[in-house]
Amino acid sequence: MDPSHNLASERSSIESTYELTKYLEYQLKEIKDVYLTYLGPPFNEKDFSPPRPNSTALTLPSAATRLELWHGLENQARLAQNQRAYSILLAAVRELARSTLCPSLKTSLLHFCTGLDGLLGSISALMNSLGYSSPAQAAAGELQFPQRGTGSNRPAPLMSQSLKVEGFWILRELQSWLWRSAKDFNRLKKRLRASSLTRHRYY
Amino acid sequence: VPQSSGLCGLYLLIRSLLETAGYVAIVYPQDPVLRMGSNLTASCWVHPELGVHANSLFWTLNGHQLPSSLYRVLSPTNLSVTLAGLNASRQTSGDNLVCHNHKGHILAGSCLYVGMPPEKPVNLTCWSRNTKDLTCSWAPGGKGETNISTLYKLKYKLRWYGTEKECEDYSHTQPYSCSITQDLHLFTPYEIWVEASNRLGRATSDVIILDILDVVTTDPPSGVTVSRLGQLEDQLSVRWEAPPALKDFLFKAKYQIRYRLEESQDWKVMNDVGNQTSCRLAGLRPGTVYFVQVRCNPVGIYGSRKAGIWSEWSHPTAASTPHSERLMSCDSKSSGDSNSTLRRELKQFLGWVKKHAYGCSSMSMKLYDQWRVDMQKSPKTRNQVGKHR
Repeated sequence: MDPSHNLASERSSIESTYELTKYLEYQLKEIKDVYLTYLGPPFNEKDFSPPRPNSTALTLPSAATRLELWHGLENQARLAQNQRAYSILLAAVRELARSTLCPSLKTSLLHFCTGLDGLLGSISALMNSLGYSSPAQAAAGELQFPQRGTGSNRPAPLMSQSLKVEGFWILRELQSWLWRSAKDFNRLKKRLRASSLTRHRYY
Repeated sequence: VPQSSGLCGLYLLIRSLLETAGYVAIVYPQDPVLRMGSNLTASCWVHPELGVHANSLFWTLNGHQLPSSLYRVLSPTNLSVTLAGLNASRQTSGDNLVCHNHKGHILAGSCLYVGMPPEKPVNLTCWSRNTKDLTCSWAPGGKGETNISTLYKLKYKLRWYGTEKECEDYSHTQPYSCSITQDLHLFTPYEIWVEASNRLGRATSDVIILDILDVVTTDPPSGVTVSRLGQLEDQLSVRWEAPPALKDFLFKAKYQIRYRLEESQDWKVMNDVGNQTSCRLAGLRPGTVYFVQVRCNPVGIYGSRKAGIWSEWSHPTAASTPHSERLMSCDSKSSGDSNSTLRRELKQFLGWVKKHAYGCSSMSMKLYDQWRVDMQKSPKTRNQVGKHR
């Protein structure tokens, strides 16, 4: 096993995961505008910010975190946090799509979900190749929203103000996480490069 | 004046909700469905422990603050608002009626769904593409039904037997349209109708009866070419092929040709083309570019007695009649080596553009040829052209 070869493939998969988060961030910006217009004013007004609900969909930790804590995160913890966040967010966006009455918006949201699913897969693959176990993934499957898939047989839940506020916050958290993940992967790349240099010194 | 017992019951319900479910405040009614023009009185109940008095609250509807003249303080913890003559909902996710504290923070809200029960869907028309599917489209019968989410179901059954079935393939690009793609029976009439329903009511369109073979349409003819007839200045020859999907069945197909001058919007139509696949256009102007299109009607397909439905027009093909002063051939092959290298390189370039530049997908050799035809006109007519598409 050639360590430098492994490192190169890890770096390229980190790079492609990074590219994916940038792409999803861009896609999300467009969908968010359409979704907030669908919710109607005041949700699509500039500077609008309802209180963050306590619902099950938002039990994920916010992307916001103190700088020194974020900076010092070990690689495994960093990736695990990302994995847990996107597991929860993917399920939440799927529910959002299910409760959306506008067919074209529903389709866009479901399409976006396949991108999120790809990101999740990318992160899990990265964790595997770095030798980290991913317990978070098994747990996420049992989290709220046990019914996966398109769930087209269940009637769509009636829209309510609290669902609208929840939807608003899910997209906002998703935006924060995608913005943060890009920085996470950059940091990961730097840390791996530094650790490989130390490794090489001993060869 | 509300019944005191009813109001008392409501009060107890709200209080228990506030206390057990941990609500800070709640708007009642929650997510009501209402008819356009009706009135609504909503109340905002705040938890007594919030320490907020009802007269410090205010309401907004879709982000706009409602005037305090519409408010009534029913109790220290209850502020109501009365809305008269409701307009249809601004968005199908419901109008946002929100109760705020004096600082503008959101305390609670409710989604108002205001619309009308559906009326009979109208203009139901169906057509079959190459007998492979049956697509139908319709229009909502009334105004206001689409402001709240209204479900339209296209249903059909074979006339003299068969169970009622529902169309499943609703188009995402065209609203009020659905395609039946499986199990199509020819030589037997269908009964087709549309059922509309929303939370205020339902309605059914008139039933139409049709035989698939009577509503067949097809693709435009393929391989349309327009060429000169030697040196004849006033004629062009148009040739085409029967649409590929029905090529072996169009014995009695009818074709129509239309042509126009490049600068003009007036099409001349040739109707009696019969079922030939070539035609000669005469009486044309010398040295002029013409745009030509052809379309097809699958008349009498499989023995149907009715005319079918005309296809779309083929893509416009351009050609120019010869000019007596210039005996230039428009055959690019005779123009020398440099032109054929240019042409080859251009083909390669366009292939690359199609792959890499997503915005330039409409570029093609066809367009280039049309441009060359255009360049053959005398400079005077060329300068007269306004916008060239």
